[in-house]
Amino acid sequence: MQVKWRNNLKNGWRYAALAPILLLNGCAGNPYWIFNPKGLMADTDLFYLILDVVIMGSIVGLTALLVIWFMWRYQKGKNRGKYDPTWSHSNTIEVFVWGIPIIAVGFLSWFAVKGTFEINPYNPTVITNHMKPNGDPVEVDVIATDWQWLFVYPQYHMAVTNELVLPAHTPVFFRLTSTAVTTTFFIPQLVGMIDVMPGMRTKNALESNNIGEYQGIASDYAGAGTSWMTFKTKMLSSADFGQWVQKVQQSPTSMTYTSFNHYAEPYIDVHHKVAYFSSVQNGLFDHVIDEVMNGKTWPIPPMMTENMVAYMQKQDAEHRD
Amino acid sequence: MLVDLAGGWNPMLGRLAWSQIPYDNPILAPLFVAVVIGTIIILGLITYYGKWTYLWKEWLTTVDHKKLGVMYIILGLVMLFRGFIDGLMIRTQQAWAVGTHSSGVFGATHGYLTPFHFGQVYSAHGLIMILLAATPLLVGFMNIIVPIQIGARDMAYPYLNALGLWITAAAGALIMISLFVGDFAHNGWFGYAPIFELQYSPGVGVDYWIWTMELVALGTTLGGINILATIIKMRAPGMSWGRLPIFVWASLSANVIALTSFPALQVALGLVAADRYLGAHFFTAGLGGNLMLYTNLFWIWGHPEVYFVILPAFGMMSEIFPTFSEKPLFGYITMVLASLAIAGVSWLVWLHHFFTMGAGPYVNSAFSVATMLVGIPTGVKVFNWAFTMYRGRLTFNAAMLWAIGALFLLLIGGLTGMMLAVPAINYMVHNSVFVVAHFHSMLLVIVYAIFASVIYWFPKVFGFKLDEFWAKTMFWLFSAGTTLVFVPMYMLGFMGMTRRLDYVFNTAWHPYLLVMEFGIVVYMISVLAFFALLYVSIRDHAKNRVGTDAWGTSRSLEWLTHSPVPFYNFAVLPHISTRDEVAWRRDNGIDHVQPDHYEDIHMPNNTGVAIILGGLTFVLGFALVWRIWWLCILSLLAIMALVIYRSFKGDPGYIITAAELEEMEKDAMRREAQIGKQHYRVGGGVLGDAIAYERSDLPPLASQPGSSVGLDHRS
Repeated sequence: MQVKWRNNLKNGWRYAALAPILLLNGCAGNPYWIFNPKGLMADTDLFYLILDVVIMGSIVGLTALLVIWFMWRYQKGKNRGKYDPTWSHSNTIEVFVWGIPIIAVGFLSWFAVKGTFEINPYNPTVITNHMKPNGDPVEVDVIATDWQWLFVYPQYHMAVTNELVLPAHTPVFFRLTSTAVTTTFFIPQLVGMIDVMPGMRTKNALESNNIGEYQGIASDYAGAGTSWMTFKTKMLSSADFGQWVQKVQQSPTSMTYTSFNHYAEPYIDVHHKVAYFSSVQNGLFDHVIDEVMNGKTWPIPPMMTENMVAYMQKQDAEHRD
Repeated sequence: MLVDLAGGWNPMLGRLAWSQIPYDNPILAPLFVAVVIGTIIILGLITYYGKWTYLWKEWLTTVDHKKLGVMYIILGLVMLFRGFIDGLMIRTQQAWAVGTHSSGVFGATHGYLTPFHFGQVYSAHGLIMILLAATPLLVGFMNIIVPIQIGARDMAYPYLNALGLWITAAAGALIMISLFVGDFAHNGWFGYAPIFELQYSPGVGVDYWIWTMELVALGTTLGGINILATIIKMRAPGMSWGRLPIFVWASLSANVIALTSFPALQVALGLVAADRYLGAHFFTAGLGGNLMLYTNLFWIWGHPEVYFVILPAFGMMSEIFPTFSEKPLFGYITMVLASLAIAGVSWLVWLHHFFTMGAGPYVNSAFSVATMLVGIPTGVKVFNWAFTMYRGRLTFNAAMLWAIGALFLLLIGGLTGMMLAVPAINYMVHNSVFVVAHFHSMLLVIVYAIFASVIYWFPKVFGFKLDEFWAKTMFWLFSAGTTLVFVPMYMLGFMGMTRRLDYVFNTAWHPYLLVMEFGIVVYMISVLAFFALLYVSIRDHAKNRVGTDAWGTSRSLEWLTHSPVPFYNFAVLPHISTRDEVAWRRDNGIDHVQPDHYEDIHMPNNTGVAIILGGLTFVLGFALVWRIWWLCILSLLAIMALVIYRSFKGDPGYIITAAELEEMEKDAMRREAQIGKQHYRVGGGVLGDAIAYERSDLPPLASQPGSSVGLDHRS
């Protein structure tokens, strides 16, 4: 019931509110990732965005019109409006100037709180409330290094770097941590941002019914390689996903605690290198958190990218894994 | 050494070495040469015209709040320019380094700035714009205007005032020298934990960042104490709380925030310094450190700081709208309550700077609602400005245009702020350029209000008006720049473009980035228009001289005294009878009544101690950055010795005798009479033969202007 009401409102308002932007870009596909969500989480976020803009936009818009009207009507020398040099108070107007913001804020607060629970990264009710009892969610452990992403699939004992592949129509639950510094995990069309911090575990979740390829971004500055720390996110049908899992599991390389130590050293992923690891040592995610909490760091050399060209030559010469 | 340092260290020079001077950097080396040549020219000109004594006696050692304020504003404008150049560099890099095929020069694979350099540029841009441009500009205006508006002769602590300026200037010098000696932090102006730890930022950049901020924090705290004490203790007779000009209320609420929040920053940065200098683990990821604690501590200061800079800007707008609407501010009491409410709520919202850090939904909800509460008093303020214009007589001169521009930017910033306050929306645009566009909208409210104030109060401080044509030209150019830069930035935010990219991976964003680049060029032209404005105005200053009430429709007390304001502010302290005192006196035809006799005035002496302490503070900061311990100890001891010396010596001040005062007043009145806009009545006249400045002989209060609703003025 509520969902239906919301969908009506959402579709109606979405196109009304976004009409000018959609018209501009109608032909070349929609580059507005935020307005073009392809997953439940991002979709819910857009609903609140539209709601907020409609309410606040109407108040702000009317206020702007009011100011412009006053500017026109009371311009000196035009004698359009009455000049009252002593008028500076009105209880009626005071009630309105306090009342309107209070009502608007009260109304929006209700929705803000509601939305916060719906997309709570630790338990997004927008996903968890409709999960089938025997649902088979996919789990992904995300480990951010300086400056790559490692996606570990504990259910399949495998891992992939710098590419996230997921089945559509399936809830996906992430656990996230980082080796060295803080960054943020963000797939604009699928799920909002969550910080990824060393020595700590955050969570996130997404679900999408749209097969396709979406951009993932490290959206918080993490040092020299941040701008290249992107990853493609592929939503596949469950059959394609199964095939892909098999492909990864045939990879000759594997990831152990020792090889991870080397992998996690600073590396600028200019070439968007994707690597498959058919097996991953059990508990790698928890192991990384433990190590960091016990003081393990992956230091960065001084002046690392003072000359980026020279640094890239050096990095390429190392032929890392 | 308590910590292992990459690179060398020696007892004499600390970490300083030739390799730390970027003489081979193709951007910095020519800039350094230009700076050296420019400095030589300026110093040469001062020597040629023999102005050293004048400079030392009249400016560098002054304790006059107006001159200190002017120097704060000059410092702020210089740093605003530096910050603007940083902005230009950021925009150029992002317009250039788009897609894998974009070219690269100067050691960058794309564009002309390497990631390391780009990080420094935007970190410096943010820090400079907030702490060394906006803050000194606003502190400067508060310095100049607050004492005059409350009818005081100076700040409560004139020497402390000078000290605050020179410590702030030392911070400015420290961040400027980081251009040429060593490097600056790359961790953003607010600092990410743990990237500022020694393992991830082994250079001196973060140390520059720590000590620059510590010094600004110290300077601003001292200034805050001073302004608070001044407002509370130095008001003229009759200046009750209900009659306080609105800008003073705004300053009061802002400085309550400053006084209570800056210590949090100093502690947070002190702990970062402990990590980096002593090998502590306050904010490291491991060994018991808690990096989230830093983020909390920083924003516990950081958010109140945002309101510390916006509240005076609101106060400025609240002064300018009534003057050019020719009627009192609508809802004075509401405005005061709104300012205090904003100041109060500012403490309860810091977590909205990191909704995405992984707090649970209860925490995020609480801070979301608290953040939206700010929208209530802010909305009230906007409505009140609108109703100030209602039934007014609006003159759209340059000052009014800038103030109206600020109002519209506030509407946009408010709309987007209410979006960011909702976690469900915030998750999508946090760390995106949408946030960047939002807070630039808000900070531009401040910039607009500052330029409005520069135009509005310039004649009060210097005695002549700025050129209207160039002021308006600058306004329209600046507004065109604002539109061209920030409309595409909002759009890019909705496209998912994130912050701080020194390489832009998505070529679909390129057209927008190019429009922004064009916008920043328009900004550059508006900067040139500002220089033209100053040049033309100073050239034609004889034509644009003004009397006491420069605008003819002013309302508050600063317009009662001469323009330029004499160093003693008021020859005889005025008695305040009502809110909007000058408007009331003008309406009753007594605005030019002068006192018929004068009394001796006690004034503070100039002192060189403040600037020397500022210099020593700079040396201390520099020594700390480079870990030159002997110099640290030496400068610290010198600072302590000087402070103790000054405390024991004190300042007996000096006396301006009544005769001298009368002579100076006559001069001022003669000057103003020549402008033909003033007709003084000295004593006597319509008011009998009592002292005109005494409350008893002012007309009965029944003749008050409309500001009388609300608080009763008949104290």
